[in-house]
Amino acid sequence: MKQSVSLTVNGRPVETTVESRLSLADFLRLELRLTATHLGCEHGVCGACTVLIDGEPARSCIALTVSLGGAQITTLEGLADDPAMQIIKQAFHDKHGLQCGFCTPGMLISTRDLLKRTPKPSADAVREGLSGNLCRCTGYQGIVRAVLKAAEDLAAA
Amino acid sequence: MNHSDTKQGIGAAVKRNEDERLLNGQGTYLADLEIPGTLEAAFIRSPVAHARLGAVKVPSEYSHHVFLAADLDFAHPIVAATDDPQFQSTKQFALAKDKVRFVGEMIAVCIAPTRAQAEDIAQSCELELDELPALWDMDVATAPDAPLIHEHWRDNVYLKTDVSLGDLERARKDATISLSKSLSMGRHGAVPLECRGVLAHRDRRLNELTVYSSTQFPHVLRTCISRAIDLPESQVRVIAPDVGGGFGAKGNFSPEELTIAALAMKLDQPIRWIEDRRENLIASPHAREHRYDVTVHANNDGLILGLEAMIRVDAGAYSVWPWTAAMEAGMVVGILPGPYHVPAYAAKSQSICTNKTPMGPYRGVGRTGACFAMDVMIDALARELHLDPADVRLLNLIKPEDMPYQSITGKQYDSGDYPEAARQALAAIDIDAIRSRQATGEKDDRLIGFGMSCYTEQTAHGTAEWVSRGLPVVFGYEPALARLTPDGKLILHVGIQNHGQGLETTLAQVANEELGIAVADVVVRHGDSSVSPYGMGTFGSRSMTMAGGAVSVACGQLADKVKRIGAHLLQTTADAVTLSDGRVHTETASVALNEVAEAATLHPERLPEGEEPGLDISAVYEPKRSTGAFSYATHACVMAVDPGTGEMEILDYVVVHDCGRMVNPMIVEAQVVGGVAQGLGTALYEEIPYDNNGQPLSSTFLDYMIPGCAEVPDVRMLHIETPSPHTKYGIKGLGEGGAISPPAAVVNALNDALKSLGADITQTPVTPLRVLEAIESGAVSPL
Ligand code: FES
Ligand code: FES
Repeated sequence: MKQSVSLTVNGRPVETTVESRLSLADFLRLELRLTATHLGCEHGVCGACTVLIDGEPARSCIALTVSLGGAQITTLEGLADDPAMQIIKQAFHDKHGLQCGFCTPGMLISTRDLLKRTPKPSADAVREGLSGNLCRCTGYQGIVRAVLKAAEDLAAA
Repeated sequence: MNHSDTKQGIGAAVKRNEDERLLNGQGTYLADLEIPGTLEAAFIRSPVAHARLGAVKVPSEYSHHVFLAADLDFAHPIVAATDDPQFQSTKQFALAKDKVRFVGEMIAVCIAPTRAQAEDIAQSCELELDELPALWDMDVATAPDAPLIHEHWRDNVYLKTDVSLGDLERARKDATISLSKSLSMGRHGAVPLECRGVLAHRDRRLNELTVYSSTQFPHVLRTCISRAIDLPESQVRVIAPDVGGGFGAKGNFSPEELTIAALAMKLDQPIRWIEDRRENLIASPHAREHRYDVTVHANNDGLILGLEAMIRVDAGAYSVWPWTAAMEAGMVVGILPGPYHVPAYAAKSQSICTNKTPMGPYRGVGRTGACFAMDVMIDALARELHLDPADVRLLNLIKPEDMPYQSITGKQYDSGDYPEAARQALAAIDIDAIRSRQATGEKDDRLIGFGMSCYTEQTAHGTAEWVSRGLPVVFGYEPALARLTPDGKLILHVGIQNHGQGLETTLAQVANEELGIAVADVVVRHGDSSVSPYGMGTFGSRSMTMAGGAVSVACGQLADKVKRIGAHLLQTTADAVTLSDGRVHTETASVALNEVAEAATLHPERLPEGEEPGLDISAVYEPKRSTGAFSYATHACVMAVDPGTGEMEILDYVVVHDCGRMVNPMIVEAQVVGGVAQGLGTALYEEIPYDNNGQPLSSTFLDYMIPGCAEVPDVRMLHIETPSPHTKYGIKGLGEGGAISPPAAVVNALNDALKSLGADITQTPVTPLRVLEAIESGAVSPL
């Protein structure tokens, strides 16, 4: 069954008619070709598909597009000019917070949200705060260091 | 060598070239590719473990969307056998014919414009299956009356081996203690965050089948596909785009790759399959399920006199190409003595066929199990003799003065100081403080334990090793083509595949070492059978040693030519110039690489007489000796256990590591930590158990746990650098090492913590429930 829905993606209004079962992740990836949003499990556990829905991090693999009428969706592509995200990316580069890069977009979006809510987190708070994003490569050490550095750099910015 | 600028060369913690695209969401993984007209595939997979396959009923409206074994009968089956005449081999067809042998085996492929539609079609088909008894466990499959999984076999065992080395009779006689134990590791997956995927289409202009695969070895895969569907290799191209982790699971020739390639060829239609997580957990090659019956013979000081082991591996229903179903057991037999001096040794092994997902390579391969068995035995021996396990280890570790050392199984350990790594680990973790803390007891009544584990790991296996294993391919070398462009930048075309290891940076560091060119000016092109000379790919902790060696040779030759041309432009001789900072220097003048490159490519009239134009150099590298460079480490950890709930916590984790000369210490540390996290997964969390119908019980991330951010400790790391005598720069491989010791270190720490309760943990993953069970059985029969 198809339904029409209008929403905003990365600041751009989108009107579309989609299958009611189409996930937000598939809509972003297949229809809008926004492929920074990755799929690691498609059942809401790994966090690779994290995007912002009305400014809050959410798992786009288990959000249905048709239920998002009027919502503001932001993907990693939409944060290219976000000053906080630029600082976070730099910190991930500096502290080797990524290896294969598959978890990275979700990790970056969750980090941005974590540091908004907790500007000066402890290492434990970072580990707790990112526990919804799985990474199979890094063992998280580089990620934790990157987030702590990003917190410092954001405070100094 | 020509480098005044060593800041970016070997040994520098250079930040990665590949980060930028990945951080900007511009990494392009299999699912991100756009080939016009691509149809998406969904497989119909067997829902049962063992059955005769009858008809597949396809609704008539989908008859052109569903394909069965008969539709792909032109594709040859996958056969992976060792050259041992006793090896019983399997034929794995692209899609199952006549019989299914594990839950998840592919029966049919459905294609449609979207995956969702393809899944709808798969749902609408009906299978006729005549179920057979499920041989869901090694013991069930080897029971005397067990039916045969492959009808023409003698029994359900791929290969049995039996070695006896040294004077074991004497060891038995001289021993004052002979301690036996049974140990086991749970079955699990490799679980890269990006699942597998394949996209194949025919390039009509080139008359070439282009296969994109999330693979670790594009060239080898090209050979496989060309042979399997009888196409000349010149008409097959394999490209691995960005790959979201592999860990061994993407270094096989899979039936999915075969099916998608064959079908795209047959239909002349681009087709893609993207594995979902359920398929990944139930149908991607599995890992680790080993059982050990070990006896160690020792004297009262804990000195090992002899070792006996029976090793059984549940290799699943088919032999995985090219490694074969005997790889795990074979590696265990060879490396079980590990870093310890074992004068007499007997090992029997069985690689057992069951109705389970085939077992393939996973980071650490047989060594994680071997190290677990050996190191848990050493702790048990120490407990039995009332000695400190650290002392028993130090007594038995091979001494640096005995290097190079030939192990009892004939392995040539090349270099290193194993006891020093152990001593440094003990100091770093402060063993004395832990012992006094244990004596004092914890306020929260938890029990504290210390565990350590030492391993030695053969890396960069060369020709001799692979020949001795009798595999279909001998992965002995690696190529590099170094190409200086007219603007003075460098492109390295290499046969490896980078999927997180940082090779786009570390190979550039090698180029910097030889050519003095900035790392940022070097592009590493990899993962495409059409862009580099034939190469073997990335697995077995080999890429940095092998491809690094090849880049070094190619860039070294390029440097000579650049110097000759640069010297000519500077009106001097080649021996009077040096190369650094992207320029050719004399004492007083210099010329930039782009001027040299321009002369060599666009202005041959500027070249010295007799100098050939062009700046492309191709080289192949093999280590001086092909018996491997041995990395080693000691892992030490402190665990807390709540004996009431079985809950566990890692309080401290130290790694002292030697991977020879480090190319980039930042990347080395991160590779080790990533490996440790996976090893902790093996130790504590990850398991795919099967029920007695042969159904896998973990098929989502809700029931299969990979360690999250809160589960992995901050690993403290110390380095020793003993260069390998066999390799360029003395590099040893390190990609897998981190994953080898954690199960042994963790189990030893837990058994140390629970010593007073008589508990004896012998099985991974150690769940809270298994801790409680061990406490319970310890209490019933105290030691
Ligand atoms: S893909 Fe959405 S949480 Fe894993
Ligand atoms: S970097 Fe590979 S999954 Fe995180």
